[in-house]
Amino acid sequence: MMILVTGGSGSGKSAYAEELAVSLTTAGGQRYYLATMQPFGEEGRRRIERHKKLREGKGFLTIEQPTAIHQALGQMEQEGGTALLECLSNLAANEMFGAGEPKSQQQVTDTIVQGVELLRAHTEHLVVVGNNVFEDGVEYDAATMAYIRAMGRIQQRLAAMADRVVEVVVGIPLSVKP
Amino acid sequence: MRLVIGGCAQGKREYVLSKYRLPKTAVRDAALHLSQAAGDGPGPVVIDHFHLWVKGCMERGESPRELFLEFLKEHEDCIVISDEVGNGIVPLDPGGREYREGVGRLLTELAARAEEVERVICGIGQKLK
Repeated sequence: MMILVTGGSGSGKSAYAEELAVSLTTAGGQRYYLATMQPFGEEGRRRIERHKKLREGKGFLTIEQPTAIHQALGQMEQEGGTALLECLSNLAANEMFGAGEPKSQQQVTDTIVQGVELLRAHTEHLVVVGNNVFEDGVEYDAATMAYIRAMGRIQQRLAAMADRVVEVVVGIPLSVKP
Repeated sequence: MRLVIGGCAQGKREYVLSKYRLPKTAVRDAALHLSQAAGDGPGPVVIDHFHLWVKGCMERGESPRELFLEFLKEHEDCIVISDEVGNGIVPLDPGGREYREGVGRLLTELAARAEEVERVICGIGQKLK
């Protein structure tokens, strides 16, 4: 089962996705948290700490994978299990604006979609956290617009692949694809 | 307490006034100050522009959460209207990020307490809770 969870900043999508990953895990199954955020500065560290606190006691094995998400598979102890990938907006930003020359919208989209396809093939349950970066009506610079379009394409393709798509609004899950 | 959220210019206030048959005077613009949001007539107080009030609190170094929970004690039946502000690109400046996250988290907490949550899109109310 693959579920895509989307929502805006502070919408409660992470807390919901974590609960989902916990409830999906079958007895004896391992639970993985694929972390994509790189700790830039004090605020970044605080954010990561906050997310760690949220996950505490929920039995997640954390795998830090800021780019090339399929490589997380190499660190999973066993086939199957439940993986929670958080989140696409960091992953896409890292892929696009990380080391070296910025990558194209198409490259970033393909890399991430293929990576998630692999994760899906080798896990029993996969929960992917997206991000609604689409509705502020601002015309950004070309690089940021390419990023937004890549995020849009990625979420469309992952939504097509997913069994369910959920949007979280003020902590309330709304079914987009039942 | 009832919570009504949605994007900017979606007709949230008009929706609330018409649904609950309230006069325009029931509306208190929270962009000003919450203390001015005390009702002066029968029926629930409508708090409009809640997100701007949160922003103002943050700028003054106050805790919007504590102040609002205090306010709620005396206005349990109020209707809170707020823009959704988290659906975009994460701002570069830390203050902008804190504002968006702060509004989102407080709305999430209020939604959990609210007896009803609606989202207004194109003037149409969608029941979330």
